[in-house]
Amino acid sequence: MAEFTLPPHSVVKKGKQVNKVEGKNVKQFKIYRWDPETGANPRIDIYEIDLDKCGPMVLDALIKIKNEIDPTLTFRRSCREGVCGSCAMNIDGTNTLACTKTIAEIKGAVKVYPLPHMDVIKDLIPDLTHFYEQYASIKPWLVTDTTQPPDREMLQSKKDRSKLDGLYECILCACCSTSCPSYWWNSERYLGPSVLLQAYRWIVDSRDENTGERLDQLEDSFRLYRCHTIMNCTNTCPKHLNPAKNISEIKKLLIERQ
Amino acid sequence: MKTYKRPRSPHLQIYRMPLAAGLMSITHRATGVFLFLGTLVLAYWLMMLAQGAEAYEQTILWSGLKSFIGLLVLFGLTISLFYHLFNGIRHLFWDAGLGFSLKSSKISAYLVLFATFFCAICIWALFA
Amino acid sequence: MPSPLAKIRSLGSARNGTKVFIAQRLTGIALVPLLIWLILSITSLLYYTDFGYLSVSNWVRTPHVTVFLILTMSILFYHSFIGLREILEDYVPNHTIKIISIILVEFFIITMTVASIFAILRVALGDQ
Repeated sequence: MAEFTLPPHSVVKKGKQVNKVEGKNVKQFKIYRWDPETGANPRIDIYEIDLDKCGPMVLDALIKIKNEIDPTLTFRRSCREGVCGSCAMNIDGTNTLACTKTIAEIKGAVKVYPLPHMDVIKDLIPDLTHFYEQYASIKPWLVTDTTQPPDREMLQSKKDRSKLDGLYECILCACCSTSCPSYWWNSERYLGPSVLLQAYRWIVDSRDENTGERLDQLEDSFRLYRCHTIMNCTNTCPKHLNPAKNISEIKKLLIERQ
Repeated sequence: MKTYKRPRSPHLQIYRMPLAAGLMSITHRATGVFLFLGTLVLAYWLMMLAQGAEAYEQTILWSGLKSFIGLLVLFGLTISLFYHLFNGIRHLFWDAGLGFSLKSSKISAYLVLFATFFCAICIWALFA
Repeated sequence: MPSPLAKIRSLGSARNGTKVFIAQRLTGIALVPLLIWLILSITSLLYYTDFGYLSVSNWVRTPHVTVFLILTMSILFYHSFIGLREILEDYVPNHTIKIISIILVEFFIITMTVASIFAILRVALGDQ
């Protein structure tokens, strides 16, 4: 079972202490680095930041490092307010958004790694192509057979709309899927909590008329049933959503229609 | 320009496994496997019984179980049984859709751990 | 070269898995009272008797005990098999080795189930 240990070219080596800083409030950042141009093994570089001269979030520190200390540090970022999902990474052992994780709540050095068990493009950037394709495969749009009036929206009661709460807020950051050990071992075929949450979002949408077909497509020992309710997903979601609960709702629907 | 094989980011090596989630879950699996081995021992006990009085009295089961290792294994099996039983009931609540909030899953985790040790110690105290 | 989407769609959904999921839960629920009964019975036997051949075989011979023992062993092995199959599906990366190991485990468990039932019946229906 080669899966549990990292393959030889992925083993993380010690890097260098890039800078030292004097101050009353200095924090060490130990950050995973990989350079696709040299092809050497990944390494951990250590940076020091004076927190008195830095914003409160881990993303502020990463940007400060890139601006002032090491411009080669590479990471994804956009909105800096926890709504786009770009800066998802593993900070202090947990998957979360760098822009909403305060540095103060981390004791000791801040360890920053890319999302777990993913192919790394560079430094903290994982290859999310497969993740996005899995999302596309669940057909994230309304499917109807009834012709809809062309001049009006499809009506939905307040009660039905409230069923989408806790589902539509997902920002597809991939924190949950990459926290799931089942997804680590079987990401080729298991859809993962994020995609399954979105699948449920379309199943439970009252305007959609394709529920049976959606459930058929999920009912598979790998696509859905690799979920063993491990619950790492709910524990890690930076938007406080509950993929585990909604996956169990999908399973309940599948039992109901037996 | 040569392209190098992309590394895989570390997972088990760096992930902080939550107690109420990942750790309890893998323990559920491990206790399940250990209990399967216990079921094989149970089956062996029944088969020795079926062999008749002589074979039953002579079987290595008794010397094995009374040894220190044997008692340790038996205690491990008791703990595994109660853990798997109570965590299994926790799973059944989840399958019904209940107890999924972070708070509930933490409370149920502690309940399972408490009940496991309490019941295991009660049973063994009988024979102390 | 199949596109990423084609690889994910693959041969389509197998449209099964729910029955196995239900079976795992049902056997688990059935095992709760059965195992409580078994633990209490074995503890009583250990506490009140010498656990020798006569005491145990007389216990097995009691009609309701025979029935519950057969039920317990069969359901235990079935529940174990579903659990073990899930473990093999999760952790064995090579498709062929995975299928072969699942089949081997299945054959082994069926054999052990039949052997256990046979042992119980042999004691229950035998002379001494």
